[in-house]
Amino acid sequence: MTEQTAAERELAELIVASLNLDSVAPAEIGPDAPLFGGTLGLDSIDALEIALAVSKRYGFQLRSDNPDNRRIFGSLRALAEHIQQHRPQ
Amino acid sequence: MTVAQWQGRKEGGGRFALWLIRSIGLTCGRGVARLILYPITLYFFFRRGHERRASRAFLTRALGRPAGVPDVLRHIHAFASITLDRVFLLARGMRGFDIDIVGMEALERRLDGGRGVLLLGAHVGSFEVLRVLALKRPQVPLRVVLDKAQTPVMTELLEALAPDIGNNVIDASRGSTDVVLAMHEAAQRGAMVALLGDRGRAHEAMRRVPFFGEPAPFPAAPWLIASTLQLPVVLCFGLYLGGNRYRLMFEPYAEDTTIPRAGRDAALDALIRGYAARLEAMVREHPYNWFNFYDFWHDPAPDGGADPGRADQPDLRGGHLA
Repeated sequence: MTEQTAAERELAELIVASLNLDSVAPAEIGPDAPLFGGTLGLDSIDALEIALAVSKRYGFQLRSDNPDNRRIFGSLRALAEHIQQHRPQ
Repeated sequence: MTVAQWQGRKEGGGRFALWLIRSIGLTCGRGVARLILYPITLYFFFRRGHERRASRAFLTRALGRPAGVPDVLRHIHAFASITLDRVFLLARGMRGFDIDIVGMEALERRLDGGRGVLLLGAHVGSFEVLRVLALKRPQVPLRVVLDKAQTPVMTELLEALAPDIGNNVIDASRGSTDVVLAMHEAAQRGAMVALLGDRGRAHEAMRRVPFFGEPAPFPAAPWLIASTLQLPVVLCFGLYLGGNRYRLMFEPYAEDTTIPRAGRDAALDALIRGYAARLEAMVREHPYNWFNFYDFWHDPAPDGGADPGRADQPDLRGGHLA
């Protein structure tokens, strides 16, 4: 499995905490593994929870009209990259 | 007929027929157009066997006696009337209609909170009355979650009549992450977010709760969204009372919709059971307003809910939500 970057680890921890994923350790989330479906198997309500948690932690909002949402929510890596690019510095 | 089959079923009437009815209605007036509803009712009665049988089975339950041909004709006629009235409501607003609004103050009190309200409707009566009311009160934005792909011909015709209303739709056929994010954005602006809470999509997470004496599947998603966004839930019914009379009802249902992750199913079921009971009472009083023309109870229950089978994509259409 590819190693998580620091930003990915931080996001993984946020996801696990905000979704109460008891059976998943943040380090176990593969950066390129699908967040939705796959072994994690999150759904759109989870996506909403993640979006709320991201906006609280990083101070910017994931938007419904972003045409790239499918890709952004596709993996830990994509979501972490999107956050790093858009969070207020 | 299952939901999947129903959703796969061709829109009744076709483009030309809908256009014709709309044009006759707008040129000759509602009175003339309503005359055409009689042959249309007969046409549907004879040509749409699935819907006819579903109507009869439903009315037998709701009326508490064996439903006959006149009952089914009345049911189809009510549906046709409301469909026709959508044209007039969108083209001309409430003019020419007698619309009684109940519960507006209770709704406004919740809107004053500024955190948004989830308006939960059902396939009962006319949702168009609500959308027209919202146009008259632009200070309170309304976003309606609808699947534009389900009735494309109708959607196109109606949106041409009232583009403003079309712009207020959150299209449920988009990816469901987009849909829930759009609902969140609307709630942040203090808007009313309306969706229909009685019909799940194929493979959506459903919970079975008693409805007219037998467990029926209801979608979990509206409640999970309300919980996540911390929205109060207000029920909304646009009842058709015959002739040109409608009653638009708002009923506060739940202020705090928190569904904890631990014990999620029990909390969900409690909310949905209460909703189904209220819906049943409303539909018993207005049985000809029930517009789920398929076997609402025996739709094969998706396996979502108990053990998430999980979807490939975060998608309200195909995803298990629980």
